[in-house]
Amino acid sequence: MKTVTIRYFAVLRERRGLAVEQKTTSCETVGDFVETLIAEHRLGLPPALIRVAIDHEFVDPTVPLQEGSELVLIPPVAGG
Amino acid sequence: MKFSLSDAPIAAEPITHDEAGGFVVFEGKVRNHAEGRSVVGLEYEAYPEMALSKGEALVEEAIERFGLSEARVIHRVGQLAIGDTAVVVQTASAHRREAFEACEWIMDQLKWRVPIWKRETYASGVAEWVVPGEAASSRVDDEMFARQMQLPEVGPEGQAALAGARVLLVGVGGLAAGSLPSLVGSGIGTLGLVDADLVELSNLHRQTLFAASDIGRMKVERAAVFARRLRPQLSVQLFPVRLAEGNAEQLISGYDWIVDGTDSLSTKLLLDRVCQRLGRPLVTASVHQFEGQLMTVRPGGPCLADLFPEPPPDHCVGTCAQSGVLGVVPSLMGVLQANEVIKGILGLPVLDDKLLLFDFRTLEATTIRRKSSSELSSGGSVWDVDATSINLASFELVDIREPNETPELTRPHHRVPIAECYELEWQRPTLFVCASGRRSYRLVADLRARGVRNVFSLQGGVECLERD
Repeated sequence: MKTVTIRYFAVLRERRGLAVEQKTTSCETVGDFVETLIAEHRLGLPPALIRVAIDHEFVDPTVPLQEGSELVLIPPVAGG
Repeated sequence: MKFSLSDAPIAAEPITHDEAGGFVVFEGKVRNHAEGRSVVGLEYEAYPEMALSKGEALVEEAIERFGLSEARVIHRVGQLAIGDTAVVVQTASAHRREAFEACEWIMDQLKWRVPIWKRETYASGVAEWVVPGEAASSRVDDEMFARQMQLPEVGPEGQAALAGARVLLVGVGGLAAGSLPSLVGSGIGTLGLVDADLVELSNLHRQTLFAASDIGRMKVERAAVFARRLRPQLSVQLFPVRLAEGNAEQLISGYDWIVDGTDSLSTKLLLDRVCQRLGRPLVTASVHQFEGQLMTVRPGGPCLADLFPEPPPDHCVGTCAQSGVLGVVPSLMGVLQANEVIKGILGLPVLDDKLLLFDFRTLEATTIRRKSSSELSSGGSVWDVDATSINLASFELVDIREPNETPELTRPHHRVPIAECYELEWQRPTLFVCASGRRSYRLVADLRARGVRNVFSLQGGVECLERD
């Protein structure tokens, strides 16, 4: 099990109802973990539309999830 | 004759029009002081042939621009005393607003465009020519931009680069409320405004270019009035249209920098594509509730489509109308957009390899490095393949482009919409192809993240396949 921090932006934050949380998970990869978040919190976007950044870099869904990571979840934003 | 010169005292002339309800008369008179000095009289000298033709053109432009029933200007030349009338501007229009605005606009334009020189005689006995037109324009510019030109990064050369710059604002709403005043104030020479919308009451909390009295009027036209008040010499071009596939190239090709002020993802992606195609830098920003995103896209650099190649319908991600937005959020993001454009024109570093996320609740800014699809590809994933390094015959070829995308592949293939690719089983080695390699990359990354092993993405998309 790994414990990670998740920061939500824009519509994801709106749907999740909070900006930051910590979770403990058995997921192996970033992609698997994001899918469980989508299902658990009804985030309303497919995984392909949520970009994940760790340490100021975008990462692929195949990247292994590391203990203590901070995942920044970024959806597309339309407003202007 | 709509514009005339007179060496005798002048006064307003009677104008009547049955369809006009608003008549405005402006009289400019000689006052007894100028820039702190006491004035006892002045003299106007015109270059008559040119003044008459330029003046006539100006009044005709005002009639056309404001839809007036009539407009007239009479300008004095020769010696004038304190209290004498120097200029009379008369406008007549169906409604008072156009008449007032046209009158002010004519006066603003007159001194820049019509060659009439003023010689002031001061109480000290000294007389000086006060020069309009180009000379006055550069004197005014020197003063207007003095604080900015003081910066070593700007200087007279930087200021001249700004004066030569042509900037297109696509979408004149909340983001433009920040970007437009900052861009015009910086001294850019030409501003293009694209927006088909009218001002609505629900816009005003964030779109502070507009006044309550502007409701129901064209946004581009009201924004142009705002811009010209700030800097009458600015050249403004108005396009009261919605940006679309059919007009995007034509609109964008006339400008050096493109600023995205739209509130639709599909329009943002269209701008992104066309700017890449035409080699124009784009500064794009988006807002949501208390948050803003910003990035600059250089031709050939990481672009918006590298981040979000397949946008969902706008309603999935929340527009201002659906999710709400704090008024200052788009304004400040717009100011940051102007900052990017100004830096870009001055040759200073811009945010062309990062995405800025700004949280207005905490004032925390986060930047995330962006990579272009070619950089992503060179990341060395074994499943992101180059057409020259594989045996194509050993793959099942699947084209995931939209049905309207051409050209059709010449090799045997299946065409499957992306959404369906997630549902199907991929038993044989499968190579996914899209236009650029971006969508296929994301799809395969996703599928592999779900444990699908036999799937591959073609680098560079269709073109690389057909070239082979």
